Amino acid sequence: MFDVVQILNYLFEIFSSNMMDIPLIAPIVDFLMQIPLLNILVALILWKPFFAVVIMPGLGVLMLYLLYIVWYERKLTARVQWRVGPLEVARPIRGAIQTLADGIRYFFQEAIVHREAHRPYFVQLPLLAFIPVLLPILFIPAGSAVGIYTPYSIQLIVTFLALIPITIVAIGWAANSRFAYIGSVREAFIYFAYEVPFIIAVISMIFLYSSGDAYVAVEKQSMIPGALLNPIAFIVYIIAMLMATSRLPFDIPEADQEIAFGPFVEYSGILFGLVMVLAYEKLYIMTLLFTILFLGGWSGIYCPLLGDLNGPLWLFIKTVVVISILVIVRSIYARYRLDQALRIGWTSMLALSIMALIVGGVVGVWLS
Amino acid sequence: MKEYAIDVPVEPPKELRSLFIPIPPEYVEDVYKSDDFLILVGPQHPGSGHMRLIVRVRGDIIQEVIPDPGYVHRSMEKLAENRLYIQNIPLVERPAIMDAANFNLGYIRAIEEALDIEVPERAKYIRTMLAELCRVGTHLYDAAILAVFLGHTTGFMWPFGLRELICEALVRVTGARFTSSFIIPGGVRRDVDESTLKWIYDMTLAMEKRLKSFERIFIKNPTVIARLKDVGVLSKEEAIKYGVVGPFLRASGVEYDVRKVEPYEVYDELAWDIPVSDEGDSYHRFLVRVNEIGQSLSIVRQCIKQMPEGRVISDQIAENGSDIRGAFYDSLSDIVLPAGEYTTLTEGARGTIIYSIISDGESNVPYRVRIVSPGWLYLRGFMESMKGERLADLQAIYGSFGYFPPEADR
Repeated sequence: MFDVVQILNYLFEIFSSNMMDIPLIAPIVDFLMQIPLLNILVALILWKPFFAVVIMPGLGVLMLYLLYIVWYERKLTARVQWRVGPLEVARPIRGAIQTLADGIRYFFQEAIVHREAHRPYFVQLPLLAFIPVLLPILFIPAGSAVGIYTPYSIQLIVTFLALIPITIVAIGWAANSRFAYIGSVREAFIYFAYEVPFIIAVISMIFLYSSGDAYVAVEKQSMIPGALLNPIAFIVYIIAMLMATSRLPFDIPEADQEIAFGPFVEYSGILFGLVMVLAYEKLYIMTLLFTILFLGGWSGIYCPLLGDLNGPLWLFIKTVVVISILVIVRSIYARYRLDQALRIGWTSMLALSIMALIVGGVVGVWLS
Repeated sequence: MKEYAIDVPVEPPKELRSLFIPIPPEYVEDVYKSDDFLILVGPQHPGSGHMRLIVRVRGDIIQEVIPDPGYVHRSMEKLAENRLYIQNIPLVERPAIMDAANFNLGYIRAIEEALDIEVPERAKYIRTMLAELCRVGTHLYDAAILAVFLGHTTGFMWPFGLRELICEALVRVTGARFTSSFIIPGGVRRDVDESTLKWIYDMTLAMEKRLKSFERIFIKNPTVIARLKDVGVLSKEEAIKYGVVGPFLRASGVEYDVRKVEPYEVYDELAWDIPVSDEGDSYHRFLVRVNEIGQSLSIVRQCIKQMPEGRVISDQIAENGSDIRGAFYDSLSDIVLPAGEYTTLTEGARGTIIYSIISDGESNVPYRVRIVSPGWLYLRGFMESMKGERLADLQAIYGSFGYFPPEADR
């Protein structure tokens, strides 16, 4: 009994020593901190590493973002295409909770596992695929809130992002269907097409800031954002982002009309719901990195009332704005063929990324 | 690149035996022994329509495509043998409901040829206008399907939105969105009033304006051009050899159009061109039809401008020259064609429609009605053009042909 109290006290010490300081909710926090046991919970939630990973810009707002972006993309596409889009669920707010309704429907729908599937992997992999999506969040700093601080955070984020296609290929393998197989192979090809220019573009930015530390990157962008310092890397990164998240015009692994949603063709129910949002989650992580590298990260107009929340909030707002602009490509472009996408990846994008490397080196010398 | 054969025993998948597939088992064995791969696209595949395509691929390259049509076969020719001539009018429209007026027109012209009915001038103009409206509607529909096959959803929605204008025009003239059965032996069912014609005239101008924005987002889109250019090429000789018809023949450089070669209705009194292209690839098959939309809208406008006053139903059929209502069955149900065979050629939206009515000269139902729809005629060319292309191009070529299984299966 004595031990438990001691451990709790010890934990409380750790949590409360490094808490988010938000003047707006300070009276409520102060009141809750006086209640025993509940104060540990509040301290944990406001503990900076926990807050960064689980609340903002981590898991909590990731879910909010998913609810928003699927609805927004459908609504924007509908507006471009002379339609109305989702409307019937909650008419007064223009169908804004359509995604939530779809999620609930997926949840109660039967998840069919077909006979040919490799059953354990088929069921596990949609859940396992979350691991490489969530790991980069540990290293993404947002102002003073950061999961694990390391001077190599940018490299680590890129490394974990590279794991996501492996889970998709594994999903296609476990589904053991012809279209899933073709989709997996296409995913593997596309992976090779974008990964090399993507990594070179990121390396050029690391050259530019002469550090893999996100804090240094944001600090060096205090005058000029990275997008203007190295516009070529900026372009390469955007195209690689479209390729990596299967957006049109590179919607090749999931081409509905050709291979019927590719690796995910056999999924149904909540498992389908999980794999469907995979690309959106990847887009979110890549855009967080994009914001840090090119758009000044979490720097923005400081609001004293928000205190430590300023950093995460600005990072999140910038990310969501960037994604909201990016989703319009869906209503503009048709799909490239696989060989055309590979050609783009291995010729023009590779050449551009090497140019970006040179620009990054030159500007990096000028900055330092 | 040298190919290395690996001696691994490969068994054809079980479903190739259990499903009904119109290819011999030896063919399947041969495919699997020669390192090829059979892919069944359809009939439930989102990019196949109501048919099955048996695709033999080596790697990503299509070696051969065997079509398995007939999933929407409705035995129209046999059904037509048990109905009165006028009861067949709604039936023969059904193969391609967007192209109803052209299908209707061919059948009616065969009857008129047999009975020597003189069609009034105004009726001819109305018929031409309807046929061209349906042609525009069909081309827009096919453009939309092509767009969605390429993953371009805006290119799918806009033509369907534009097609609503055509449907509205047909509603105002005939009372139905497509299968209107408006054309009858001796003319059309009803006269069209001035305000409707004015509306259609304005509609064609509005549509041309909106087609310009469609051109910006889809036709001139670099990704669309990359997907369609130099894909599924049919040379002039191949197109003639495989019997391709309609805009797809014209895209391969053959200047053949039934409306010019054997003019019917009032096509010889109007000024219009045949859009032709020499490349014969998917993109130009699409472009030819886009240009045809422009020509058709111009024809519709000319029809409205030049339309004379007068009867719309021949005086051989009914007393009232402006409306058949009340006298339709009295005057047309007992028509009996003289013994013989009557064949007409009609230029439908997707190509030449052949109607052949054989009558024994004494019964009030046809002895035999032969319908050859354009889809069936260009199916061979469609299959041949896919050889040597990539598997991802299958849908692009499919869309560029605007193949419509109900039309081909009849």
